[in-house]
Parts: sequence; C-alpha cells; structure tokens
Amino acid sequence: MVIIRIIDLWKNYGEDGSGAPALCGTNLDIHKGEIIALFGKSGSGKSTLFNLIAGLDRPTKGRIEVEGRDLEDLGEKGRTLLRRTKLGFIFQFFNLLPTLTAFENVFLSLELADRSKPELALKALRDVGLEGKEQRFPNELSGGEQQRVAIARAIVKNPSIILADEPTGNLDTSTGNQILDLLTRSCRESGTTLMMATHSPLTCHYATRILRMVDGVITEETSCEEISH
Amino acid sequence: MEGKRSVIKHLKRLLLLIGCLWSLLLCYENLRTAYASEWKQAIGAWKWAFPRDHGSHPEFRTEWWYFTGNLKDASNNRFGYQLTFFRQGVNLREKDPKYPWSIRDIYLAHFALTDVSSNQFWYAERVSREGPGLAGASQEKMNVWLLNWSATMEGNRIEGKARHQGMELSLHLIPRKPLAFHGQNGLSQKGPKEGQASYYFSYTNLATEGTMKTPLSQSTIRVKGTSWFDREFGSNQLAPDQVGWDWFSLHLSDGQELMVYFLRKKDGSIEPSSSGSLVTRSGNAIHLKQSDINLEVLDYWKSPKSGGRYPSRWRLRVASAKIELELNTLVPSQELLTEGSTGITYWEGAVAGKGVSEGRPITCEGYVELTGYAGSLGGIF
Amino acid sequence: MKIVTKSFLRYLPRRLSLSLLQLMGVACGVAAVVGMTLSAQTALKSFGKAIEFLRGKATHSIQRPVGPMEENHLVSLSRDPAVEWFSPVIDRQLSLKQAGQVRLLGIDPFLDRTLRPEIARVEWLGNKADATENLINFLTDERAVFLDHRLKEEIGITTEKTLETSKGSLLVKGSFPNPSGEPLMIMDIGHAQKLYQLQGLIDRVDLILSDEPGFLSRWSKGFLIQSSRQRSETFSGMLQAFRLNLEALSLLALFVGVFLIYNTAMFTVISRRRDAGILRSLGAKRFEIFMAFLFELLILGSVGGALGGWIGFLLTKLLTGLIGTSISSLYFFLQPEPVVWSIWILMIGILLGCSASLLGGIIPLIELIRINPVQALSGRAGSRKSSRRAKKVALIGLLILWVSLFLFFLPGSHVYVGFAGVFGFVLSASLLTGVILLMLHPFLRKILVLLGGLPGKVAAGTIKQNLGRTGVAIAAFMISLSMSIGLGAMIGSFRQSLIWWMDTQIRGDLYIGKILEAEVPEDFFEELQKIEGLGGIHPYRNVQTLYQDTSINISAVDAKVLEKYARFGWLEGGNENWEPVKQGGVIISESFSRRFGVKTGDTITLEGRQGPVEFKVGAIFYDYTTEHGLVMMDRSTYIKTFGDRTLNNIGIFIDHDHPRKSELIQEVRKRAKARGLPVLTGAQLQQEILEVFDTTFAITRSMRVIAIIVAFFGIAGALLTLFIERSREFGIYRALGFSTDQVAKMTLMEGLGMGIVSFILSVGVGTVLAILLIKVINIRSFNWTIFYSPALKPYLVTGVTAILASIGAAIYPIWRVYRTYPQIQIREE
Repeated sequence: MVIIRIIDLWKNYGEDGSGAPALCGTNLDIHKGEIIALFGKSGSGKSTLFNLIAGLDRPTKGRIEVEGRDLEDLGEKGRTLLRRTKLGFIFQFFNLLPTLTAFENVFLSLELADRSKPELALKALRDVGLEGKEQRFPNELSGGEQQRVAIARAIVKNPSIILADEPTGNLDTSTGNQILDLLTRSCRESGTTLMMATHSPLTCHYATRILRMVDGVITEETSCEEISH
Repeated sequence: MEGKRSVIKHLKRLLLLIGCLWSLLLCYENLRTAYASEWKQAIGAWKWAFPRDHGSHPEFRTEWWYFTGNLKDASNNRFGYQLTFFRQGVNLREKDPKYPWSIRDIYLAHFALTDVSSNQFWYAERVSREGPGLAGASQEKMNVWLLNWSATMEGNRIEGKARHQGMELSLHLIPRKPLAFHGQNGLSQKGPKEGQASYYFSYTNLATEGTMKTPLSQSTIRVKGTSWFDREFGSNQLAPDQVGWDWFSLHLSDGQELMVYFLRKKDGSIEPSSSGSLVTRSGNAIHLKQSDINLEVLDYWKSPKSGGRYPSRWRLRVASAKIELELNTLVPSQELLTEGSTGITYWEGAVAGKGVSEGRPITCEGYVELTGYAGSLGGIF
Repeated sequence: MKIVTKSFLRYLPRRLSLSLLQLMGVACGVAAVVGMTLSAQTALKSFGKAIEFLRGKATHSIQRPVGPMEENHLVSLSRDPAVEWFSPVIDRQLSLKQAGQVRLLGIDPFLDRTLRPEIARVEWLGNKADATENLINFLTDERAVFLDHRLKEEIGITTEKTLETSKGSLLVKGSFPNPSGEPLMIMDIGHAQKLYQLQGLIDRVDLILSDEPGFLSRWSKGFLIQSSRQRSETFSGMLQAFRLNLEALSLLALFVGVFLIYNTAMFTVISRRRDAGILRSLGAKRFEIFMAFLFELLILGSVGGALGGWIGFLLTKLLTGLIGTSISSLYFFLQPEPVVWSIWILMIGILLGCSASLLGGIIPLIELIRINPVQALSGRAGSRKSSRRAKKVALIGLLILWVSLFLFFLPGSHVYVGFAGVFGFVLSASLLTGVILLMLHPFLRKILVLLGGLPGKVAAGTIKQNLGRTGVAIAAFMISLSMSIGLGAMIGSFRQSLIWWMDTQIRGDLYIGKILEAEVPEDFFEELQKIEGLGGIHPYRNVQTLYQDTSINISAVDAKVLEKYARFGWLEGGNENWEPVKQGGVIISESFSRRFGVKTGDTITLEGRQGPVEFKVGAIFYDYTTEHGLVMMDRSTYIKTFGDRTLNNIGIFIDHDHPRKSELIQEVRKRAKARGLPVLTGAQLQQEILEVFDTTFAITRSMRVIAIIVAFFGIAGALLTLFIERSREFGIYRALGFSTDQVAKMTLMEGLGMGIVSFILSVGVGTVLAILLIKVINIRSFNWTIFYSPALKPYLVTGVTAILASIGAAIYPIWRVYRTYPQIQIREE
C-alpha cells in the first residue's frame, strides 16, 4: 500500500521562485511499513523534501499524496490536522521546547492530537528508556536523551509516518546507534513508515530501502556498500 | 400679659430657626449676663407718644412687631397668617457710620400662612443685620422691614407685606379699637425683680383687607378678615424654669377679644402669674388673673413628623366674664419644625370655636401657640 | 492550562530578569499615563468642584463689568420681584504665612447661609460653652475669620489662634467643611470691606432668580449678569489651553508607553519564533499559537499594568501638587485634593497595560502567526530581510510625514489639528528610524571602533544585523530624547522671550503692591506725587472682565509715563503708538488680536458702567501675561468708562542720571513701609515672574524625566534580549577567543551605539519638534509668538542623559555577560 506518493515535485527558493531549484522533478512512492534511509549531502534537498511532505512548505510544482490525498487539496487546516495525527517529526537538533519538561514535550503531542492521556506519554517515555527522567527539562538531559524524548514525542501519537531529519547528526556514534535501534524497532513494532534523512552510513543498516539524493534528484540504491563511496 | 413671655421665647426660637451656626445667638441667657446691664431697663411708667412709640426703641435690647390674623376669600375659604418682626440688640455701641455692615442690632422675622380648605401650612424665617438698608426700623413711626418683608403705618393704616418663594402677603390693617395697654399702663411685670418687665401694648382688633398667595394658589387671592397686633420692648427677661406654654388670642363674635396664657412648669403645675386680658366691645382692657381662667384639653393631635403630642381641642372658661368656649384647630399640622440639629419644634396656628358669652351663643376665631410638646425645651434654652 | 500556553509562559520565570525589565517597561508606560491623566483629571475636577462649591445654590451673579460694585444696589436687589434670594460677596485673595495663598470670601452669614449652607456649619475653636460670645465676637471682631477644616488641619490650629497673613494678623475663630479643593477663608463682609479698604463696595452679588428675562431687562445696563452655567464655562474656558497641554502630555506618555510595549512584544516574538516553528511542525494551529502568545502578552500587560497603576498613583502625589501650583499661579487658587486610592486605579492600570500590550503586540503577533515554520526551524531569523523591511516601514513613515505636513498647512485650523500633526511627525520620525539607522551605520561603526576597537566593530554590526530588535528600542529612545530636546528648547525659547518681554515692560526702579493681594490706596499715589524728583509714578490696574462672553483682562496705565520709560515690543510701529492711547483709544496684546481676530484700526466694544463703549485699537503689542487677551488703556479712559479707581500696583521710575536716585528710592521705600505695602525692585519683580514661569513648566519637565525612564527600560530590555538571544553566537565568539572583557565591552558598545544613534536622530527630530511647538502649538493654543532662540543647553543635557541612560541600561546585561559568558558552549539548549 502506497502511503506517500510524490509526483514530479519541484521546489525553488527565493521570493519569486526563480532561485536555484532544491528539488527537480522528484518522483517517489513510499509504502506502508517501509523504513527508508535517504542519503544526501548537506543542501541536497533532503530537508526540503521532508518539509514538503509534512506540509510545512508548499511545492513550486508537482504534487504529494499522503494516504491517497493530495496535500494541496487538504488546505492549511487539513495539513495541520495531518501533522497532528498522521505525522511524527524528529530533528537533528531535537527541537524540544526548552520550557517544557520531557513529559510535557511528549504530552504536548497528544494534546494537539486531542488524545490527552498522560499514561500514553509516560509509556512512550518508558519505551524510549527515560523512566524516572520525565520531569527533567531539555537542558538537564544529554543529547541522546533529548533525542529519545523527541522519538517518544513522535511515536506517542501512533502516526502513520515518522520523518526523521538527521536524527543522529548531533550525536556520537554509539548514542547514534542506540537511537537508530530504538527508532527503527519502534516503527517496526507498530508498522509505522519511517523516513530518515541522513548523510551517515550508520543509518543504512537499519533501513529496508535506501534512497540517495543528489542536487534535488532521488535515485534508488540497492545496498549499503554504494553509500560508502 | 405674662403670655407675651412667649414672644421672648419666640424670639429665642426664631433665632434658633435661623440655623445651626447662627442660632447660637439664641442662647442669650449668656448675652443677658454679658450685655444686659448696659441696656435701658423697663422700670417705671413710660410716657406713651404715638406714632413715635410704634417706631423702634434702640435703647432697649429687644422689641417686636407681631401680627396674626384670620382671613377669608370671596368664596368664604378660610386662611390664617402670621407676620412678625423682631429687633435684637447685640452691641450697644453706635455703628461705624462709614461701614453700614457693622452690627448693632439683628433683625429677625417670621412669616406663616395657613390654608384651611386645603389643610395646608407654610412658613419661612429670616434674619439680617441692618447693613446698607437691608433691615431696620424707624424711630419715628412704625416702619420695620427685613429685606422685602415690611410693616409700615401711615396715619391710621398699617401695611404689611411679605414674599417668600410661593408665599405672598400684602395687607392693609385698620384698627377698629384703640390701643390696649397691658399691665400698669403698658408696663408688664415679668418677675419679682425690678426691671424684669417690658413695655407692652396691642391692637386687638384690626380690620384687614388685601391679597395673598400660597404655593398652591394659581393667582393672588383677595382676602378680608381680622388681625391682632402685639408690640413689646424691653431689655431683661426671666430665666424660665417652665417646659412650655399655651397662648391664645381670640376674636369673639360678640365684639370682645380674649387673650390667655398658661405657663407650664416642670412639675406639671401652672405658673401662678399666668394670666390674660379681656378687651371689651368699647376697647377697655380688663386684666384676668389665672384663677379667673379654666382650660380643659379635650383632644390631642400627634405630629407624624416630630412625634410631639399637641392639644388640639379645648374648653376654655372665663368665669368672671361669663365666657365658655370650645376651640378647635383649623388645620392640625400648623407645626414648625426647624433643622434637626436644633430640635426646636412648636405649634402655632389658626383656631376657631363656638360657645356662649353672657348667655348668648357666640363663635370665635384666633391664634394659638403651643410650645414644649415635642421634646423638652429646657435642655436647649 | 494547555501545554502550548505553558510552553510560552514558562519563559517568564525562566528569563526572570528580562521579564522584569519588560514588566517595568509596561509598568512605567502605564504609570506615566495613569499618573498624568489622573492628576490632570483630579486637578480639573477639584477646580470644577471649587467653582460648584463657591456657587452654592446661586443661579446667577451680578457684578460690575470691571471693578467692584456699590453696596447701595443691594436694597433694590432685595426688592426686585425676580430675586428669590441674594448674598453680597467680597471675593479676594490673601496669602498666609504657613499655607500660601488662599481665597478670602467676605460674606454676610445671615444672607449667605441660604446659598452656601455648608459654610454655616462652623465648628468653634473657642470655648464651646461660651458659643454665643464666640459668635458675637465673630460678628464684632474685625480680625475674626473661619478657615476650612483642611486648612485648619494643615496649619495645625486647635484653639483660637492668630494667623499671620499678607493683610496683617487675623484671628481664627472656627472652621467649616469645604468639599472643594480650594483653600478657603471666611470673614464677615463688613470686616472684609475694611481689610481691603472697600468702603461701600462689594465684588458681586450671588443671586437666586425666578425670572431671568425680567431681571435682565431691569439690570443689564452697566452690570455683568451671568448665570451659574455661564460662570462655570467662563472659568473652565480660562483653563482650556492649560487642560489641552495636560492632555497632550498624557498622550505623549501613552505614545512612548505603547512604543515600549511594542518593543517588548517584538522581543518576545523573536524569542518565540523557533518554538512557534516547532509547534507548527507538531501540528499546532496558528490560532493556538496566537492564543498562547496573546495570553503571555496579557499576563505581562496585566501585571505590568497593575504595577503601573500603583506607581502612577504614587506619581499623582507629585504631579497633582505641581498641577495645582501651576493652576494657582496662573489662573485660580487651587489645592487639588490628593488622588484617593481605589481598586479602579488598579483596574485602569490593568486595562491600559492590556490594551497597550494588544496595541503594541498586534504587529508582532501577526508576524508570529505568519511565521514560516521552515525558516524558523532552520534558525534563520528575519534579520536578513530587516533592511528591506526597514525600507517598507520608512515608506509608511514618509506617507505619515506628508499627511502631518498637510495638517500644519491647513489654514486656520484648530490646535487639536496641530497636535495631530505633531504626533504624526513624531510617529513618522520613529518609522523612519530604521532606514536612517542603516544610512548612519558606517558613521556609527567608525565611532564604535574608535571607542571600543574590535568589540565596537562587532557591536556596530550587531546593531545593524538585529535591526528588528534594535530599531524599535532606538526609535522609542529617540522619541523620548526628542521630547526632551523639543520641550527643553521650547521652554528655553519661551523663557528667553519672556525675559525680553519683561525688559520691554518692567523697567521701573520700584514696584509697590502685589497684583493679586495688595491693592494700593489711591491717596498713597497722591502722596507719592508730592515727592519731588521722581521721574514717573505709574498707576497700574489690571482687572478681569468679559469680552464676547470669554474672559479677558483690561489694564489701565498712564500712557505718558510708559511712553517715556517703557520700551514696548510692538508688532508694528514704535513709541508713536502711545498717541491714540492718550486720546482715549486702546492697544491690545497679540493674544487678544489673534484670539478675536482684531487688528489695528478696528473697533472693540466693552461693557462700561454706563453701557457699551466703543474703543479704537491703536496698536498691538507682544505680551505673555495672559493667553486670554489683554486690552490696555489710559487710566483716565478707564476711570471714565468703568468708574473704578482701584490701584493694583504703582511703578516708580527715576531718571538714570538723577543725582539723588538712591535717596529717592529710600524715601519711597520708607513711605510704602509705613503703609505696610510690599515693595519690589524691577529685578525682584522680574525674578518673581520667572519663578512662576518655572513652576508652570515643572510638570512638563517631570514628563521629560518619565519619558526617559520609560525609554531606559526599553534600551536595557533590548540589550538583554540581544545577549540572551545570541548565546549561540557568543559560543562562537568564545571559540574564536573573545575574552569576557571584550564581550562585556561589546555589550557596552551596543548600548552606547544605540544611545548615540538615538541621540543623533533626536537632535534633528527634537529641533523640529521645538519649532513645531513654538510655531504651531503655542500660537494656536496660547495665541502668542515665542521667538525661537537656539540654545545648546537642551542638547547637551539630553546628550549626556542619552549616554548615561544607555550606559546604565548596559550595566545589568554586562553583569550577565560576566556571569554566564565563561560557561557558554557552542551547542543547542
């Protein structure tokens, strides 16, 4: 089942859309339960793609369908609702709200999805191994712990898709491995589609499908070896 | 004659009526002790001379011109009026002629109207120094005024005028009888000591004609009737121990006038010197002793405002003159209430009655003054 | 509470110092408005209450158009059918040694109590048991007076006591309630006549009339009859210009306050951009973010507003007195009642704080909900666009500037239009600040490099790069400084003009008598004339009357003496202008000319004792004594017209080279002293006038201070925000090897830079503001020309203030730098 369909997607930045394109006619089908690693150098268009899929940004040309529905047709309200219920986001810089505790950061996600059950948030934190640290603020947590909170925040609302933009980019290798392990395991268990943008080969081994992005164009890769060069 | 002590009281009361601050003048027992000695005393016979004695006697401390009367309009509606002027000496010194505001005397006046048919009563009071012509009294003849209230006499004719808000009065009064002098040729003794007296005379029957206006009337009303005029001056008053007094001045339909006065003492008894006068058809004044007079109260009226319980119906007998009368108030609420702070409240108003005089049925009308019924006066005086 | 809201609110305690600064900013803005408005209102209300109290139950009053009236009219008044009641009044002024100036009412207690029963409720100070004697004494003792309760308390009188006054010692016999704020003293009318030598005269009669048309038909000729409503209008009309200026000052305070709150809100938005981005990526609706931010703004607004209400209340204690003194020295005795604390002040403060927060926060709020989450998350702030944005804002500023210019050139427009123009100008100047800052930047950079080397260079860059944050703070500070320069230069020019004017008119060697208190007996004037050698003895009379139903002043002078000794500032012509005055004509002040549109050669009609009299206007002269208009005529003309021989003052002129000059001066002094008359030299009189002038502008000066305090918090807040918001940047500086001292210097340079730019801008804006105040506002509201005299002082004072305030604002942020910079890492929170 195709959960995300991307058809001839173009994105130009700049005021009038005349600047250099970040995406040049990308086409992509993503199926339910896939764990995708999207490789690409900094500035290759990975983040742009994610922002477009999340409906945070609008394409210059082309269309994105999530669960069969065109994002453009959903409108601002529909896209916001989509982010609330169907989409989880994980960032390189964690992007936790600095004024909220770990628990509150996770609970916020539930609140927005209109499922304000504290026990779900507590369970999610337990699942990511942060039992006992629920009341800590982000600046009282290590980088890995912060990213665990971010994962808990994403998975707690049981989304269809999780978009993870360089989830390990700001972490050391062992912590990175732990995080990737946690993330992919959670997604597999719940059948959530996971799409990770990365430039670290580490990620490759956790993926079921590998994509590469160069100058706004996506190509399929077959094995992790090709990534290495 | 002693009844006219009430006028002294009246003066005191009027002063109180003036209001909280200025009423303090009223407590003039202090004044008496402080200044009385310098004023001329009412001692010995007075050489009467008219019209000069209708005028002011500034060498005495107190004097007054006192009019009451019972009137009727063309449709026989009954009215009553009271218009009184007082002069109260404050400072025996002559005024500074450059500054007319400097004070020697204070003038006070009281003006009341009763409308019997509509059961209404209105009153007003005034006080002023002479100032630049604001108040005064001539020493040559009767000409006393206080702002636009005045009483003047030309020849045989007195003119009384007053106007205050909705109340207006403009009357001509012509005596039907000669002056009646009370006491010993007008020297009315008020107490055992020499000087505790005043000079006192009256026009007991004045033919009255003129116009009036009450706050209720749309236009001026032409009225006719009979008035009573009292005139008294002196310098020294009694220090009273009475709680109040009842004073009657009545015109009888057989042509006589009757004045009686009862002084009520604290112990409930009547002051022995309470007395009266009977003025005969020909104008002779006959002194009545207290023993000649018998007064019986038949009914009371309770004031809804002050709570005072006033006599409202009387039986009055003067055995020596073979007079027996039953009197009724014409309007029950002829009560004067002054501002709450002074607490001075009294009743003064028109009355009428009927009875017999020397065996013949008569009617009468007149004025009654009742004091000391709404709270004791003793504490204030 | 929603977590979204919580996430915003948590910033308040987390950045406590910044929150406090923001709070203080709101509080100061609100305090300025509340303090100013409340004080102005109370003073004006006290004024109204005083008028109402004095009026009592009177429906009308009758007086001579000029000068006192004869008491013999009282008898006719008492008998007039339209007069229900009347009370003659002597209405004068007196100064007490312990309590300054008071109004002294001479009344007849018997007549007056019908009109003013409150005054009759006297509490005796003497022995109560002997109250009758007290009263008799009051009526017979020529020195006896009553004071109002408050005055009695103020002086601390508990028993009958002698009081030293400008009219000798008086004996206080009692006190009475006076609900108005005007200090009042009561005397018997007869004694007041003696005290003021008014034999046979009174000032006016208060009346209760039942038939106004009938009364007017009998009394109009030679008398001025006013209904109580007309009287109140005349009085409040006198205060119109003053009231307007108070309103304008309140508005200015509000303007600076809103600016600051806008500044505050803008900082908040910038610090919430990223959070808003995260929230949007998590699926938060714009509305939810809007509400959360609004809530935060309202909390700041309410707490700051409540605090501001309280501070404003404290301010009223100072301002009410200042306003009262000004009104008293210019128009009417008044000691405004202190503002009474009520929960409403708090409510008003909260309401003001919230509305100003909304007004100031609306643009930042729109910006926040329109935020591009992608940009916000990528950490790209709007700074890159700030120069373009500044240009956009500047365009709006230019537009407003054109509208303002148009307003100034609208012919014959009202002073309100003038004020609108001034506000427009100030607003446009603040909007243009961003662009001008960009233009000034190279210059600023040079200065800061000179002052601070490398840190200075970085600081200059920071100011430019963070235009969104610094621009508003600079604009707010610039406005405060411009106000300071503008008001300072205006007051300075006014003072110069006043000094010039005094030199044209007050040229006498001695002045005997004080205009307000002591009248000079005419026989003293005659006595002086017998002294040989005096060059000129000038009898002066100044009196208030009505012209076209508004209050004006008439002065009676001796044209021959003034022609010889004074050097009037004429709009046209010279000393020949005295000729028409000698021939029975009048000269008018500039304010009269402008106010009533009267020119030289026109004819004006004044109500004289025998009915209306026409006067030809011979010339117009500069005058600052009254904005209501002044008509000057020769004393002979005056006496002929008004029959008033009163003298307020006598000027003595002695020829410069007179051999016995000092001897003559001593002689005059001696004779005046014998009569108990105050004597002033020309210089002393000038000094007194200047003191009144300075008192009058005390409020204006206090508003300058408040505006600068408000702006101070603005700058401090901006600096602190810059520091907090750029912690990542500081991490880089640290990595690059910037020392703590260098970063501290940088912060100082940022503050100083903002102060310098603000000051440079304010020099231009303030000068224009001063010229606008002088040429537009003063002419329109006071009808007089002030000559602009450039002076360095306001600029110097303001410049020093700017530098000190910006350094002061940097102190706390620098302390923060020393405390936190050594721990800053290059990492995310």
